[in-house]
Amino acid sequence: MNRLYELVYVVSPDATDEQVSELHAQVEAIVQRMGGRIEKTEPWGRRRLAYEIGRHKEGIYVLEVMLGSGDLMKEIDRRLKVSDLVIRHLVVRVDEEQAVVDRTRSRRIETSRRRRQARGLPPDRQPGEGQREPDEEREERFDAGAEEGR
Amino acid sequence: MNGRKGPGGGAGGRGRTGAQSKEGGQRRPMFRRRKVCKFCADKIDDINYKDTKLLMPFVPERAKILPRRISGTCAMHQRKLRTALMRARQLALIPYTSE
Repeated sequence: MNRLYELVYVVSPDATDEQVSELHAQVEAIVQRMGGRIEKTEPWGRRRLAYEIGRHKEGIYVLEVMLGSGDLMKEIDRRLKVSDLVIRHLVVRVDEEQAVVDRTRSRRIETSRRRRQARGLPPDRQPGEGQREPDEEREERFDAGAEEGR
Repeated sequence: MNGRKGPGGGAGGRGRTGAQSKEGGQRRPMFRRRKVCKFCADKIDDINYKDTKLLMPFVPERAKILPRRISGTCAMHQRKLRTALMRARQLALIPYTSE
């Protein structure tokens, strides 16, 4: 049973670029060995930690989205726990939540279309209509170095 | 329904338009005179731990999670918000405390 997981790990700021990419290669190797697949890798780069971890004040964040089994995630979790270079990591299963989000979103669009048509309006919101924009502009809202304000 | 003007907003705080404003009992109040769940109003479905920009307003100075009675968030979204905040805390995206 393969599921979609999200893995974020924080590498110590002392690590070199090679070490970070090596870590990524290690993760990839485990994923491949255990029959998973990496869907996306998103290095957020260096950013300040909200609190000190050990003596570190910043960290190098890497996000990986992967498809795999629970055993795979267990193994990755174990390996990252052991690793000295990784100061923090988090594994989250995302497929279920994503499904719920998609469902509510599509349901909302559907209802609004039906209601609009019942009122004799075109099914989609016309530009310049209504009080506020639909949440389209929030699609890609959290970016990597989300340090700066909007 | 008990207190007349206490700060304890009901769930969603929707029917409660406060004494000072007459308007606002509309379906979706534009400017929040009285508390409305931000996530319901803005139709934000997924409250994600990676989205610090979205989470930060719910983490006041002491870095405690802003309670529902202050923020007006509805129960469902407060629950989601809480898990998101706790995940973000683990990754040091937002603080646990601030001294």
